Amino acid sequence: MKEQSKIPTSKVQRAAKFVKTGAKVGSNYVKHYAKKVANPNLSKDELHEDNARDIYNSLSELKGSALKVAQMMSMDKNLLPAAYQDKFSMAQYNAPPLSYPLVSKTFRQSFGKSPSDIFESFTKEAVNAASIGQVHKAIKGGKSFAVKVQYPGVASSVRSDLKLVRPFAVRLMNLNEKDLDHYMGEVEEKLLEETDYQLEVARSIEISEACAHIPNLRFPKYYPELSADRIITMDWVDGKVLKEFVKINPSQEIRDQIGQALWDFYDYQIHTLKQVHADPHPGNFIINEQGDLGVIDFGCVKVIPDQFYEPYFSLIRKDMLFNPESLVKRFMELQFIYPDDTEEDKNYFTGVITDMMDLLGRPFHQDEFDFGDDDYFKQIADMGDTISKSKKFRESQKARGAKDGLYINRTYFGLYSILNELQSKVKTTKPEWAMAV
Amino acid sequence: MGTATVEKTAKKSGGQKEKIKKAYIEYVLENGSRPASIFKFVKDLKIKEEVFYDHFNSFENLEKAIWLGMLEETLDMITAEEVYSDYSAREKLLAFYYSFVEVLKKNRSFILQTDERSKFPGMTPYYLESLRKRFKEFVQEILVDAKESKEVVDRKYISDKYDEGIWIQFLFVVHFWIRDDSPAFEKTDAAIEKAVNLSFDLMGQGPLEAMIDFGKFLFQNR
Repeated sequence: MKEQSKIPTSKVQRAAKFVKTGAKVGSNYVKHYAKKVANPNLSKDELHEDNARDIYNSLSELKGSALKVAQMMSMDKNLLPAAYQDKFSMAQYNAPPLSYPLVSKTFRQSFGKSPSDIFESFTKEAVNAASIGQVHKAIKGGKSFAVKVQYPGVASSVRSDLKLVRPFAVRLMNLNEKDLDHYMGEVEEKLLEETDYQLEVARSIEISEACAHIPNLRFPKYYPELSADRIITMDWVDGKVLKEFVKINPSQEIRDQIGQALWDFYDYQIHTLKQVHADPHPGNFIINEQGDLGVIDFGCVKVIPDQFYEPYFSLIRKDMLFNPESLVKRFMELQFIYPDDTEEDKNYFTGVITDMMDLLGRPFHQDEFDFGDDDYFKQIADMGDTISKSKKFRESQKARGAKDGLYINRTYFGLYSILNELQSKVKTTKPEWAMAV
Repeated sequence: MGTATVEKTAKKSGGQKEKIKKAYIEYVLENGSRPASIFKFVKDLKIKEEVFYDHFNSFENLEKAIWLGMLEETLDMITAEEVYSDYSAREKLLAFYYSFVEVLKKNRSFILQTDERSKFPGMTPYYLESLRKRFKEFVQEILVDAKESKEVVDRKYISDKYDEGIWIQFLFVVHFWIRDDSPAFEKTDAAIEKAVNLSFDLMGQGPLEAMIDFGKFLFQNR
């Protein structure tokens, strides 16, 4: 049947899709080296762009978790070449929409009523795409609501999709198989959590209540009675998403105010709540004219275990980095180095990671930090580049870095790059115990 | 799950008919096969054999009526919804499939039984014959409106076959649902969404149209 062959639904078909992409990426390399013979000065930009396009095209057809992986890779701006980044950030804006009859069916399945029975008005088309669902705007009693509806079958395909993405991740992220296993479990767990809308509502309410005291921050109210396995209803948040907000060229004062609110929000979550909104994606923040920062989408929350928190955040104390003995102990705890590493490896990794921590911790080492400093971000990008090219890291038989760090690093990368985009100056607060320097 | 429970509108004259259908489904479910004969079947049901023949003339005929009944139930369900009249053709067909699989769900065991007996990949099995006729009427209705609103492009020769194509799609959906083991058959929902979108993208103004136009141009100007 024709239709069937066009829709990658079964695992085999999805796998076939990836194989096809793999072949394309291969041929892009052939193309690149063929051109290079003729023109030795050719840069790899075109190759990266070709690869990004082909990989993106096949990922976007798969939707669901594959899309989420693409999105996640797009987050780590500094770890990926620019061409990959641009293509993958499309992932959140370019999803084929769910039809209204399907939305209506999901409603009837969950509440026994259709959207028009519950709300006075309900947009037939989605007003926004989320990576595993879409958002409709609804009105009831003069109030506006955002209703997020999830695509069917996402939860059940997460596992098999991840298996399919695996070989790609190895190639794309320059990770060896071993590292990947180490991290893949963590990613899988987070992805499965993200499909659980009941959990998301519970966490949204918990975190937004706990952070209600932070100035210039606002959260939508969530409605558990109008939420279900695949539906979340919350207040509509007015304002502009970050990218558009920056376009209207707001004053430095407003930029600083928003940046500070964002910083305080993360500071409180990480050091007080010990659980954090681990998806600081520009699309998850909505800013209004008064410079209030609205936070939406608590799909991805990382709970920080103590055995990770303690060694990891002790590294933000600058004095720690100059105390070789305790540093080695910390690095062992964080699995950057292992007791059975060779002396040479130990020294190498300790050196590189100390440099990295010094660089990433820099905002913490002063009272105020200007995230508009593009030079700083260039240094981070260079460091990421060095590490991804490093033979030692590539050939290491062991995973370098605890799995808990995956989402924490991602959170900080996201936070830093949003602050950079905002060009904010921020008072970089830190927990009391870390002050004693 | 609170699916809109549509009361089976057992009309007075159809009371006997519904009773026979129900008894037949029950028999097949409990015995895993068709009753040995109509005689035996009506005897257990305590009705006269001629009453059976008033409504059906064979078990095949009865099975056809059961499937047709499920289709009619679906059509009643979707047209009862207020928004239905505002739907585009694409949405009407989607609404049909989503409701149809709900109706099928109520009879899943029976359907799995029948499906096992007939190995029919790709072909229209006998018990879908009456349903097919009614379904095609429904699709024709949708398509007439869709052509008017230009949602679907009228193409010489090809557009006469649209309903045939959608029938194949119908068989695909039913098959997919039979084999679907995802919770709440959510993969079937995804399959429906994708299949219907594909078919309407093909029937609408698009690359196919441009290809035909180009072909015609080449043919005429060679």
